[in-house]
Amino acid sequence: MGHFLDNNGFLLVTLVQQALLAMSLYFPLAAGQLSLASPGFYALGGYIAAIVGTLDYFAPWRASLGWLVFPLEWLLAAAASALLALLVGIPALRLRGIYLALATIAFVEILRVLSLNLEITGGAIGIFGVPQLFESRWGYIAVFGPLLVCTLVFGHRLERSRVGRAFRAIREDELAADAMGINTTRYKVLAFVIGAVLAGVVGAMSAPFLNTWNARQGTFDASIAYLAYVLIGGSRSIWGPLFGGMLLAALPEVLRPLKDSRLIINGLVLVFASIYLPQGISGTLARFSPGKRKGALPAGEPQEDA
Amino acid sequence: MKRAALLIVNCLLFAGAAHAETVATPIPIGIALAQTSNVALLGEEEVVGAKIAEKYFNAQGGVNGTQVKLVFQDTGGDEAGAINAFSNLINRDKVVGIVGPTLSQQAFSADPVANRLKVPVIGPSNTAKGIPQIGEYVGRVSAPVAIVAPYAVKEALAENPRIKTVAVLYAQNDAFNTSESKTFQETVVQRGLKIATVQKFMTTDTDFTTQVTAVLAANVDLAIISGLSADGGNLVKQLRQLGYKGAIIGGNGLNTANIFPVCGKYCEGILIAQAYSPGGDPKNAINNALIKEYRATYKKDPPQFTAQTFAAVQVMVEALKKVEAVTKSKIGKLDLGKAREELNKAIRTGSYLTPLGKINLNQGGEIHQETFYVARIKMDANGKTGKYIYVK
Repeated sequence: MGHFLDNNGFLLVTLVQQALLAMSLYFPLAAGQLSLASPGFYALGGYIAAIVGTLDYFAPWRASLGWLVFPLEWLLAAAASALLALLVGIPALRLRGIYLALATIAFVEILRVLSLNLEITGGAIGIFGVPQLFESRWGYIAVFGPLLVCTLVFGHRLERSRVGRAFRAIREDELAADAMGINTTRYKVLAFVIGAVLAGVVGAMSAPFLNTWNARQGTFDASIAYLAYVLIGGSRSIWGPLFGGMLLAALPEVLRPLKDSRLIINGLVLVFASIYLPQGISGTLARFSPGKRKGALPAGEPQEDA
Repeated sequence: MKRAALLIVNCLLFAGAAHAETVATPIPIGIALAQTSNVALLGEEEVVGAKIAEKYFNAQGGVNGTQVKLVFQDTGGDEAGAINAFSNLINRDKVVGIVGPTLSQQAFSADPVANRLKVPVIGPSNTAKGIPQIGEYVGRVSAPVAIVAPYAVKEALAENPRIKTVAVLYAQNDAFNTSESKTFQETVVQRGLKIATVQKFMTTDTDFTTQVTAVLAANVDLAIISGLSADGGNLVKQLRQLGYKGAIIGGNGLNTANIFPVCGKYCEGILIAQAYSPGGDPKNAINNALIKEYRATYKKDPPQFTAQTFAAVQVMVEALKKVEAVTKSKIGKLDLGKAREELNKAIRTGSYLTPLGKINLNQGGEIHQETFYVARIKMDANGKTGKYIYVK
């Protein structure tokens, strides 16, 4: 068992990490907002953790707090992400659909160019020698695992709460939701902030996990990858991004023995999944088990948010 | 909750580390390079170098009669991929040491993993500052940019002492080029030249009108470009097309035949600082062997990354021979952990006559390379192929 974990520990934790990032995209999507800003907040959180972990200025903190400095980094990342998400979200969420997606891509690009040019983020090389919470990569499941469980519980509870219903109403028809007395701007910003905070915390946990942090972490490519997680997994329940993130992150590694052809197979899986599972994995599963999903919309609903 | 999780993790770890095993034969050496993603352009050149080295050294008898076997794991272009490739090589393929990864950023991510598990790593193309400092098991055969870059400036000034003003351009999203450009700028200032403008671009850019216009407006005598083949080549082309007449120095990223198809006839005359030159030393037998083997397949001279990866594998193989001499035992009889430890010590002793010339790795794992080269690009009449003419 220990041997298996030595081999695959990093991969297993990566699966959890990617699933969490997929979920950070899911929350805005649950309120009908196609936001690709997650990598930006992920990068921000990672930089906060890397800077607090390595900069001399924070040395007294590290000395006096011991390992407690790590939870502090997560809190800082969450706070900074929430603040930035509010600043960006309030104007950006006036945009809809593809325009919002474009604006969030621009946001990710701005953060990337900033981090390439700032002294404190280490430019193109980034920040390295980030202090470690655990010796082995596998140990990081002790931080990502609980976060995943909490997020799942949170997402699950949210679906059945007043806020969750408001999200769904906005997703289905914003005008109708507005007419029913739902403060659409407030809920859209809330969904955006939830996603941003999650991405920021995951970033702060990932900087020690990856040993280093640089501008290559928050890119447009990552935005598209996370979007693929949600689309393949299904955007109608919290399980969708979990399945999608884990499957798509695992695939290239599971196919590693195939050497050069592994990316071809990977691509084929994506194509077939999007053709034959238009509702994503979770949507298809839900269709085959009717009655289990109370309150969810009938399968086959056109997905205008995709 | 957290303490319990830690306890479980620790138990699992000790369970994994408990049993010992010997090194397999043929001796497995790990090669973790970018064979996919956009970094593969560089990674593939390195893979070729590793493969030629495997064939060459096995034909010479391997490690005192025992063959070596290179185990390839693709890192892709990202940090997580590099860690995955390293984990696979260390735990599943049981390699004695690893050559890789391709990018410095990937090295900062994956090398600490190998270092904690006490597996020697040799970086074939990691030139950023701080790589050997990652740990005692990390070394490199790629000379840091700070050493290579100034040679080209010196050569340009020797050819045209009237150069006064300089434009510096670099790919800001690439770690290597950013730090190389910094070195160029320092060198230029030290030589008493004036930096008229500093322009940044991205390795993904194709249109350089803004940068070229700024360079032309500054009316400079010399343009120094730190970029990779596609962007750097296009930048050179657009500079010349829009009428720039001065000298051009290309950084190490342009030290590849891949730029010939990009800038075509406009590549003519670029001065390039090189850590490797195919024509640098005609008496270097091992370099001649590499060139011959490479030409047989690719009909051109090997690029720098190919030569550096060849050198990295060579250092591994020759160090393994030293391990056998020191321990007076065949590698195949040694405990894997012990073999890795001894290999790491051996890598850092003595010197190696490689295609890069004579090199050695100091105790910190940093390379000391005796000669560097400056070459000028000479394009053929068809404007599509060209050569690096060695000038110094």
